[in-house]
Amino acid sequence: MMANPGLKLPPPFEEAIAPYERELMRFMVRMTGNHDDATELFQEMCLRAYKAYPRLEDFSEIRAWLYRIATNLGRNRARDNARRSRVIVDAGASYREPASDQIGAQQDVAAVRTLIEALPEKQRQALTMRKLGGLEYDQIAAALGCSIEGARANVSQALKKLKAEWSQL
Amino acid sequence: MSPQHPVERYFSNSDIPDETLDHLLREARQKLEPRMRVIRRSEAAVGITKSPYGPLLIAVGPAGLLMVHYLNTQSMQRGIAMLRLKFDPIEDAQAAEQIGDQIRRFAAGERDALEYKSDLSLVTGDFQRRALQRLMEVPFGAVITYHALAATIGAPSAQRAVGNAMATNPIPIYVPCHRVVRSDGIIGHYGGGTQCKVELLRTEGFAIGQNLRLPAQAVCGHRVTHIFCRPDCSAARRANPDKTLIFATAESARHAGLRACKLCHPQ
Repeated sequence: MMANPGLKLPPPFEEAIAPYERELMRFMVRMTGNHDDATELFQEMCLRAYKAYPRLEDFSEIRAWLYRIATNLGRNRARDNARRSRVIVDAGASYREPASDQIGAQQDVAAVRTLIEALPEKQRQALTMRKLGGLEYDQIAAALGCSIEGARANVSQALKKLKAEWSQL
Repeated sequence: MSPQHPVERYFSNSDIPDETLDHLLREARQKLEPRMRVIRRSEAAVGITKSPYGPLLIAVGPAGLLMVHYLNTQSMQRGIAMLRLKFDPIEDAQAAEQIGDQIRRFAAGERDALEYKSDLSLVTGDFQRRALQRLMEVPFGAVITYHALAATIGAPSAQRAVGNAMATNPIPIYVPCHRVVRSDGIIGHYGGGTQCKVELLRTEGFAIGQNLRLPAQAVCGHRVTHIFCRPDCSAARRANPDKTLIFATAESARHAGLRACKLCHPQ
């Protein structure tokens, strides 16, 4: 079948998000600290993204756009959880940190996680996207709806704060 | 001092293995499948076809023809954006060619060539839907005024709104918005360009000249009595203009099932 040279259609939704599924899932496991919540959140993200997909016009932005949806959903979920004052289950229960032969490494990891969870919302998200999602600053900015400088500042301040609090432990 | 700060180590060290992620993805996709089915949009076959009216963007859905979009005068991106709000577009040149073939035959004068079913799913407003549905009753070789079309949907002073409804008609040619003209006899504007409207009306038998007016020899048909007259017939002058269609020729009026007036004997 001869393709029309002039016709430019957006890729089907599944095809469009396929390259980012794995990193998004990784991001969600980080964000929720829990496998069940991550798969749940992933589904919510797909549903919401599919509904909004017709309104996405610039396809070069799709990665940041997906992270933005994921971040917003994660934020809503965190807020709802806080409202229900649900006891946060120990994140380590369902998520196994990589084995380390260093004694004390496990405690270190758990401690850092606690510190990250205590960070201000925006800093925590920026840090997670940068360090665990591996996003560029302009993509973080697009996802968080702030400037590139703002994204950079959030990440560096989060790191600084983490290190400062670590030394106080 | 350790070579790496524990905070740095946390980020470099704690990568989740790909197998775990893939397992989670499989699980999520499995649960997602039935939930997606509920909200999934229908697919629409999309393609571009050539026609005497310039290139056309065509979209065909499961229930019929959804869109004919003039690419000479309107942006392709806008057409696709409009379609995507309700359908998932899939490229399908064959479906577009099928419609293109009908349009080319129509342009060559074959009056029943446009046999593909129209689907007004892309119409958003109730008013527009009613206007377009009524418009589909206007037969080949006839025109109606904006004012009269407004009257048929019970809003006799809504000729401007009818104009807007025609301007955003998703399926021109099939839903014949070129058959709507101004009350003063000038043919008016068209989404595919005025020249395109002229061509379409000429195809249907109207000899439109440089002045963009309907020709004087057109006949007036009454939608209720199904009688057609010369425009200067006394019966035609007394008839309610809102109930009148203008036919290109007596022949096209007869073809639409009307009979000639016994007073003026239109030919």
